[in-house]
Amino acid sequence: MDAKTRDDLLQLFQSKLNRAMTYYLETCTRCGVCTTACHVYQSMPQAKYIAAYRAEIVRRIYKKYFKGQGKVWPSYGEAKELTEMALEELYEAAYSCTGCRRCMVYCPFGIDTQMIMSIAKLLLVGAHAEPEILTLLADTSIEKGKSIEFFKEGFLQGVKNLEQQVVEKWKLEAEGKTVIPVDVEGADLLYVALAGAHSIIPAAAVFNAAGENWTLSFFEAVNFGAFVGDPTKTKLILDRIVNEAKRLKVKEVCICECGTAYRVMKQLSGKQPFEVSSVTEVHARYIREGRIKLDKSRFQGPVTYHDPCQIARNGGILEEPRYILQHLTDDYREMAPDPRYNYCCGGGGGLVALGEETLDFRMKSARVKAEQVQKTGAAILATACENCHTQLENLNHHYKLGMNVQFLTSMVADALVI
Amino acid sequence: MHTIYYLVLVPMVYAAFAVFIVGSIVRMIKILRTPKHPTTLQIFPKKEPAWLHALSDTFLMPTVLKHNPLLWVFLVLFHGAVLLLVIGHLELFSDFALFQIIPHEVFIGKGLVGLTAAVSLLYFLFRRFTSPVRDISVAEDYYLLILLFLTVIFGSEMDWARRWYDYDVMGVDAYRTYLWSLITFQPQVPDEILFSGHSFMLVLHVFFANIFLMVFPFSKIMHTFFALPVNKLRRG
Ligand code: SF4
Ligand code: SF4
Repeated sequence: MDAKTRDDLLQLFQSKLNRAMTYYLETCTRCGVCTTACHVYQSMPQAKYIAAYRAEIVRRIYKKYFKGQGKVWPSYGEAKELTEMALEELYEAAYSCTGCRRCMVYCPFGIDTQMIMSIAKLLLVGAHAEPEILTLLADTSIEKGKSIEFFKEGFLQGVKNLEQQVVEKWKLEAEGKTVIPVDVEGADLLYVALAGAHSIIPAAAVFNAAGENWTLSFFEAVNFGAFVGDPTKTKLILDRIVNEAKRLKVKEVCICECGTAYRVMKQLSGKQPFEVSSVTEVHARYIREGRIKLDKSRFQGPVTYHDPCQIARNGGILEEPRYILQHLTDDYREMAPDPRYNYCCGGGGGLVALGEETLDFRMKSARVKAEQVQKTGAAILATACENCHTQLENLNHHYKLGMNVQFLTSMVADALVI
Repeated sequence: MHTIYYLVLVPMVYAAFAVFIVGSIVRMIKILRTPKHPTTLQIFPKKEPAWLHALSDTFLMPTVLKHNPLLWVFLVLFHGAVLLLVIGHLELFSDFALFQIIPHEVFIGKGLVGLTAAVSLLYFLFRRFTSPVRDISVAEDYYLLILLFLTVIFGSEMDWARRWYDYDVMGVDAYRTYLWSLITFQPQVPDEILFSGHSFMLVLHVFFANIFLMVFPFSKIMHTFFALPVNKLRRG
């Protein structure tokens, strides 16, 4: 690596060194308490999968360039130069971490390994060594935000086709009302979905059943910028939705079942004239207010729920899904030991978005998750995140769990009493 | 030889404290001047009040108790012992009514405090030599434990000699004279301290302690100051 490249990368590193990050980098005592926290380590006990080990890969570079000891006495903290080799190590560390922050529950200091890994991801972006597909996807999202007119026609046509399905399935009265409203100024709620019918159709059915004054966003919720760890792109992708919400003067932005999108929107959008909620929260609210009714006999067999890390541990939506499930089944099975310690599905941090390429690793690294799910003895495995759903389906297949993996929104929609 | 003793007992002590105090303060100020993280970093379920949980996380280490009880026992023993050792050293300056609430003879703990610290340090050290902790350890981790162990062992030996073997040449009064002279910047080392049979132990104790103080601000021992704010981040 030439000096110029290295300087540029160190500049990027520097940009990440805010107060919290510095605490995280300075405080670890390498006590090893986080060792058994990581599902990857639990499934494949190799040192490189220990949270502190991953973090130390970033920390060694930090010691080399941002601490005196790296210059005076590099071997003291085993400071490491930023080289091509180091980039490879950073890649391995960052893209075998799903950013679930389970290790943060274990650490006596609460060190956030996901955040430390965000340095690794940013350096990889800077060195053009990140998974290209993620950047490509992020760029597409941003492009779409810039030239919305260009996409509009196709999008509206797509929505028209979906409307038909909603009407057919739920036998809704379609007269005079748009089944999937788009671009409605003054709507109460802006629903941000994913590209995919399964994210729009059931949600539309529930909104309409609840008599919500809603409108569908032009944009898909998923934030590939966050997956690839590029703060600028993350913000650009986020802003498309923020701007749309402001333009339509909505009171609430409701994020579909996508963990990263929810956390980014909820925590990163700053103070806005609208509230941010997850579709799970909104559904729980409808039930509580009696705006929708669910038929408990719709689903047979015991049900368990997988807490998506970014929504539950990192987003705080823990009670709502359980409240919804009370209205869907009498046989709900909690995973052991408790939701706080829920294992990551193994698909976060962009791993599922990388598809086949990561499949083998995802299956091996999530063995403990498969076991955790199996122990519940449930027939239905519900979850509230696209990524988790894909990964759990893969696990279901790989470990022959014989489960019915469901989106919570779909279950709500299917059990609607109209 | 006595010149070296003197150098360790006077100028080096001043240097060590200067590095420790200035170093720690400068590093903290530098960190406090970096911008705050723009979003919350807490984990859920939320625990209220956050500051109380941050305090309990910091001082009681419930997560360690839950996931590694044996380590927790030694951590508590060790940190408790360190606290008592600090109190013990303060009492080598003069009597504090506050510390004498539980009446005791200076040095506090009948020699057992140092022993506890030394044993805990050995446990930490041996633990580091076994996987998986070994795999995440760097040189610093071993250096610091060895350095602390040496400091504690030589310090404790003087206490043990007085307590358990009735060695009485170097006593509390001599320490008080010496330490007072240091903080009043009129350094003077009493003969008992410089020329007695146990002087080399004291000098070694002070020597290692000086080194420890000098690396303190630049090492992971800064967790002493960071543990609370970093825990607060987790609790929101
Ligand atoms: S538990 Fe925390 S302090 Fe201990 S090794 Fe892991 S990250 Fe470091
Ligand atoms: S954030 Fe999750 S995947 Fe990453 S090191 Fe921690 S426990 Fe492992």
